[in-house]
Amino acid sequence: MPDAALWIRDLVFKYRAAESFELRLRSLDLAAGEQVLLAGGSGTGKSTLLQLIAGLMDPVGGSVQIAGRDIHSMHGASRDRYRGTHVGMIFQTFNLLQGFTALENVLAALMFSELPSGQHRERAESLLRSLDMQRMHARVEELSVGQQQRVAVARAVACKPSLVLADEPTASLDPENAGAAIDLILKTCRENGAALLCTSHDPTMRQKFTRVEMLSELIAGGAR
Amino acid sequence: MNDFTIIRRSLTARTLSTVFTTLSVAVAVGLMLVLLMMRDSGRKAFERGSGNMHLLVSAESDPLTSILNSVFYANPPRRPIEWPKFQQLQRVAPWEFFIPVQMGDSYRGLPVIASTPEIFSKFKPDAEQAWKLREGRFFEKEFEIVLGSKAAAETGLKIGDEVALTHGTPKRGEADKDAPAPHVHDEFKFKVVGVLEPTGSAHDRALFIDVTGAWIIHAHDRREAEAHAAHGGDADDDHDHHDHGIETTAEDLTDEDRKITAVYARVATRPGSDASAMIPPTFARLRADPTIQVAQPTQEINKLFQIVGSVDQILLAMAGVVMASSGVSILLALYNSMEQRRRQIAVLRVLGASRGRIFRLVLAESIVLGLIGSAIGVAVAFVGVRLVTAAMKERLGLVIDAGIDPRLGAIVVAGAIVLAGVAGLLPAIVAYRTSVAKNLRPLG
Repeated sequence: MPDAALWIRDLVFKYRAAESFELRLRSLDLAAGEQVLLAGGSGTGKSTLLQLIAGLMDPVGGSVQIAGRDIHSMHGASRDRYRGTHVGMIFQTFNLLQGFTALENVLAALMFSELPSGQHRERAESLLRSLDMQRMHARVEELSVGQQQRVAVARAVACKPSLVLADEPTASLDPENAGAAIDLILKTCRENGAALLCTSHDPTMRQKFTRVEMLSELIAGGAR
Repeated sequence: MNDFTIIRRSLTARTLSTVFTTLSVAVAVGLMLVLLMMRDSGRKAFERGSGNMHLLVSAESDPLTSILNSVFYANPPRRPIEWPKFQQLQRVAPWEFFIPVQMGDSYRGLPVIASTPEIFSKFKPDAEQAWKLREGRFFEKEFEIVLGSKAAAETGLKIGDEVALTHGTPKRGEADKDAPAPHVHDEFKFKVVGVLEPTGSAHDRALFIDVTGAWIIHAHDRREAEAHAAHGGDADDDHDHHDHGIETTAEDLTDEDRKITAVYARVATRPGSDASAMIPPTFARLRADPTIQVAQPTQEINKLFQIVGSVDQILLAMAGVVMASSGVSILLALYNSMEQRRRQIAVLRVLGASRGRIFRLVLAESIVLGLIGSAIGVAVAFVGVRLVTAAMKERLGLVIDAGIDPRLGAIVVAGAIVLAGVAGLLPAIVAYRTSVAKNLRPLG
């Protein structure tokens, strides 16, 4: 599937330290720009799957292609570089770089992009402005949770990735803010042409997505 | 935004640790540079003082003491050489110069050196540099005085001023400008006729007069004492000055008055050459005379530096230990920070930083600590050397124009930076091996 943002076949993963856990996923595809909610309860392996997709962990078998390239066939710096330019990630606790300003957090992502360095600042500022981020020169620890989330979203799409992986991005928010946050993520990914694979255990999130996949149905025999 | 921004943020995020680590590097580099500067410059200062003389003849107890007293003014020489002896020694070898020198008088605690005009025309305080006048002229007759550059600065004397000299030298620290000296020759005024350019040697602290003037003063003392004795006093009570209406001139001098304390000597050499085959036999011949002491300044200075050399090496070794400990402190500071930085490293990895780049970032951070510390250390060294040289001048009277061979300085700084880099290796390896998946929690 050359046009697919994500293409997974027969993925098998085992923790060496905990052999009892095994994740088997027959297939999962996301077309370019498609937005999918991956639903499932806690401990079902959603986060592990996202890390496998990002190439942060290696599977025992199977294939994960992002924008047409198998991320696990690449090694070392080339895989890191590919992840930096093709995958954006949003975390539950944002994982912003502490001590850095909002602008610098977005610029940090652009450091590893293919975008000419002369365009980094303009790209970062325009992204933050489009997300109504006023205090872009404030350190992230001085920002409100909502503002930190905007920085995290801006950082995820800064390199114009094919795919954004959002891992429980609303888990620490109240229902009202969670709805606003997911709307922001959906809108930003759409505007930047990125497919979105978002995990959540919150059933209320399902109404925000046109396509919802249950992890329990995707995995072969379930995670053990 | 670049790697340096990340390093800067990382260093400022733990300011206290960064400051202390940097200071430890600065102290190590500063200490090492101060020791090296003092070692090189101290030797240069000693070499400068004896200038182009081959031999120093005196009546001191040992050669090193004679050099320290008669060239570096450590203390006034105690034993004189009688004038007939000087004349006898003058015939021993074909001298290029054989300059009589008398020390023992002072002005406001500064040494007065009485000699002949040859001290300016033939003796050079620095082997490659003759005396230069900043203003005025050299002395031409008795009761004229030429000031060394620092003596001029310390006394504030200028051309045309007249001063009375003191017989004897107050102990260092007692040279109070306003306090009356114990034995001032008020009856003989010396007129300042010249001020010398700095030579970088102990001679800069000296005042130079014609030796005949010094002899006249002492002849006057003798004659007054004799007159005093003739009037029923004690002839040896030469410090009890009464006015007996005596006037003393060069005509009144006897050989007893013509005492000197040292001779600056140089055997004849070919033009442009400092060495002479005549030096060893002349030295041996003079050495055979038990009434005098003969010293080769270069050899005595070498001996002196052999004595202090081991202390020097111990100090340098200590500076090396301080340097090594500063490397350890960099290692500990970075290693301890790794625990707090695992998440930052994991995030950078997610954003696309390779393990190699993370390794280089931590290593560069360590090197930056070394660089900043070294820069501060160089500044500390230059301030420290000024303090040490000022203290040495004050306490030892040794004028040291401290400087360092730029290559040696560069080696010390480069060594500190390399050490910082080595110290950063372990933390960089820890950073390299940081697990991304584990450190992004609560991801799962």
